[in-house]
Amino acid sequence: MESTSPRGASPPLDLQLLERRARTRYELVRAGRSLLGFAPALLLMLAAAAMGRRPSSAFFFGSLLFFSGAFLLWRGQTMHRAVLPGLLAGIIPLTFALVANQGHACAGGHCSTWCLPACITGGVVAGLAVSWFATKRGLDWRFWAGASAVSLLTGAMGCACIGYSGVIGLGAGYAAGALPWAVRRLLAR
Amino acid sequence: MAEPSEVDVLMGKLADGDRAAFSPLFRALWTPALRVCQRMVHAEADAADAAQAAMMKILERAGEYDKKRPALPWALGIAAWECRTLMKRQQRLKETAEEPQLSDGGATADEVEQKLLVSAAMHAMGELSAADQETLTATYWDTAASAGGATLRKRRERALTRLRDTFRRLYGID
Repeated sequence: MESTSPRGASPPLDLQLLERRARTRYELVRAGRSLLGFAPALLLMLAAAAMGRRPSSAFFFGSLLFFSGAFLLWRGQTMHRAVLPGLLAGIIPLTFALVANQGHACAGGHCSTWCLPACITGGVVAGLAVSWFATKRGLDWRFWAGASAVSLLTGAMGCACIGYSGVIGLGAGYAAGALPWAVRRLLAR
Repeated sequence: MAEPSEVDVLMGKLADGDRAAFSPLFRALWTPALRVCQRMVHAEADAADAAQAAMMKILERAGEYDKKRPALPWALGIAAWECRTLMKRQQRLKETAEEPQLSDGGATADEVEQKLLVSAAMHAMGELSAADQETLTATYWDTAASAGGATLRKRRERALTRLRDTFRRLYGID
């Protein structure tokens, strides 16, 4: 690589070292901006914790969501485009679950919460929404993976209302919603 | 609209997070940035320092690049700003150095240079936190009352590292 020798006692300029230092700074600045850019997701976490039945689960999944979203923003390219659609799709099951938490159904002396059906339905809708968006924009599996992670973690903040079965229900619903897209992708190969 | 240049494409890719564009972009920008700095800062060594600082700034701000605009003028604008900052800093340093020169009429070049360095170090020290300043002062006068042994050593090392970093940031040299 080119190097210049400035006058006087200064050592010759090491451009490789300069490039490495610039690259480190680029990554650090990018990471900082990603964390800052995804900070509004923390408000969603606080809202889910305040309105949900299990604040600790909301904080757990919310923290995972925050770092996953920031990571995707930091990586950039297709993954960076997955963050907003994933978050918006994830708000669907989250809202469903938070609303379902407010009531329950009783039949034959037995009462049960609406949480699980709400999470499954929300998961299906979120899976369909992400798949529709990926097809519309012609985006690849990386987009789908990133958006799915963000979407599921967002939904999970509310779907942990009846323990992990709610989260599993969300995942199953999501998989069902995304299945047609996955099959189409496989057949297109 | 005109066809995007190679630099536009590379900068756009890097703004998007494509790390593969980093090295080619670095190589494409180095010579124009250095040339701008050489034109603005006449001393060769200072121009190289300014160009280095400019490259760091341009690449760390790559994420802010607006793809609708040409990348080279944007990058060179940052480079020019860095050169201007360096020139201003040198001007300030010169002004600070002039005072002792006037009072020490018969000082040798080495003495003047030493005073210049001390003045620059004091300026850099002024940028540190009160705790770091206290640690370094205590080290200088050998009066570290609040801590001793390994604790003081660690504190001193950290303060010295920060002083070095500040000096580098202010004057672009070690």
